[in-house]
Amino acid sequence: MMRKMKSGVLAHLEGLEAQMNRACKRSEKPWRVQARESALGTKIRELRRLRDKLKAEVKRRQQTTEKASLASTECDQTVETREQEALERKRESVKAILQAYRFTGLSGKLTSRGVCVCISTAFEGNLLDSYFVDLVIEKPLRIHHHSIPVFIPLEKIAAKYLQTDLQHFLFSLCEALNAYSGRKYQADRLQGEFAAFLTGPLQRNSLCNLLSFTYKVDQSSSFRARLLYEDLTVTLPTDVTVTPQGTEALSALREEQRAAHEALFRTEPLHKVFASFAREEELSVSVAS
Amino acid sequence: MEAEQAEVRALQAEIAALQQTCLQLPGPWEHASRIRQSLQEIHQSDSAGQESSKDPRNQLRHLESELSFLSMLTGFTITDYSKKTEDLTTAEMTDEGVKKVLQRHRISGNCHIITFQLEFQIVETQSKENISSVITDLGIVMEPTEYSELSEFVSRAEERRDLFMFFRGLHFFVKWCEYRKRTFTHFKDKYPDVVHLPEGPYSHCMGIRGASCPEFELVIVWRIHVDMEGKVLPQLDLLPGVPRQALQLDRHGVVDTAPQGFRSLLGVLGIEGTLESLIGSMQ
Repeated sequence: MMRKMKSGVLAHLEGLEAQMNRACKRSEKPWRVQARESALGTKIRELRRLRDKLKAEVKRRQQTTEKASLASTECDQTVETREQEALERKRESVKAILQAYRFTGLSGKLTSRGVCVCISTAFEGNLLDSYFVDLVIEKPLRIHHHSIPVFIPLEKIAAKYLQTDLQHFLFSLCEALNAYSGRKYQADRLQGEFAAFLTGPLQRNSLCNLLSFTYKVDQSSSFRARLLYEDLTVTLPTDVTVTPQGTEALSALREEQRAAHEALFRTEPLHKVFASFAREEELSVSVAS
Repeated sequence: MEAEQAEVRALQAEIAALQQTCLQLPGPWEHASRIRQSLQEIHQSDSAGQESSKDPRNQLRHLESELSFLSMLTGFTITDYSKKTEDLTTAEMTDEGVKKVLQRHRISGNCHIITFQLEFQIVETQSKENISSVITDLGIVMEPTEYSELSEFVSRAEERRDLFMFFRGLHFFVKWCEYRKRTFTHFKDKYPDVVHLPEGPYSHCMGIRGASCPEFELVIVWRIHVDMEGKVLPQLDLLPGVPRQALQLDRHGVVDTAPQGFRSLLGVLGIEGTLESLIGSMQ
């Protein structure tokens, strides 16, 4: 900062001061007292000049500061600035469209080495977690780092598509992540909202594609349900088994119920099935009372 | 003498003080670069930390190149986007530290030859512990409307308010449509006399008619089906067009078993291999 200041006005002023100091020193030798007095007078005059110059400079800089802070918001005096405004509007519109890409579930930002892709997930209108994959665009294309959970078959999908069809790689990943998010959402809802129906803990794996739990819908004994989602891109189970707890043989009515539940689990999301159980319970309670 | 010396000292002190003030105030040339610098910082944080140029024209160019890159990467070209926000927070919510906002979004764009226009609403509820965003309404308009398989899928996406499923399904559907078009066009170009596409290149069926027996025709129907979960699957079927007299001659029931044979052939040779061999058999 100091060095920069030395150029320009201040440097000049300092030069003047130095010059004056040398003039003063020189003037000290002959005609001692008188010379000193006139030297002092000169010095005073020079110093006053220097001070006035500095005062003017400070004043000028203060005014510029005020103007500049206004200028940043109202520089609409020339055609150039009107052009700049149009550019600014266009820029805002392009920026907005870039932001809108996240609603497709797949968006990204350019990085110095490639692109950082963001995959958003949702289930039945509920916006859930987002994941990112940071790609380095080289030959071969490689994943620099990512936030994909370890149980998602990223390597398998990458081995299949990353080098040959980047778009397919990304959409396959989208499928797998969205399905996982959806399964997780259903399991979480069951454990949270509908925990009252469970007669034991919900057994689930990290991929949420194998769920096992015991539940009870009415005063009779409980059922055990096992849901398997063999296809990792689905949110409805591929295999459902509902078995009665206990050793007694099932009555016809109970068998009907068991079969109905099995069908329900296969066709409706988990939390929706339990929501319907809850509604039935409410109805039966209100009927009873 | 002393008075003057005193004045000299006073002036020197004043000058020193003014010099200090000058140091603190930016010089005129310095100020312009400071504005440019802060603008640059804003743009850097927006445009992924790249060394963006100070010229707004260059910035725009950089943003536009980012946009075309995303369009190429996703296969979707968004041409327009608008958003309106409405605050739904009530006084009670504010007391509990909850904020509720309704966002209305409108996106227009296209995926290859299919254009879409979406309008959807998102309700964002922000409490001290978490933020939840829920799509509360989704409306989708698509052109062209001839793809009947798509219209069912679109209504399902609207019903489930599954925005991402719509885009995923759209992507895979368009991919399969384009592959079907390329495949059919390839065979039409290779065997112009034998192969015909009744509905043009985007036809969903292809007819194979041998020059020697024009009454016989094999029709390959290739539908692109979108299932409940938004998964896109091709469905190919063979419809043999055989005149009645020929059917009577067909004692081994070859014509009846043809569709099944076709499906097994698909499993072995794949789509192109199967079509190639069928055309070969008709020549």
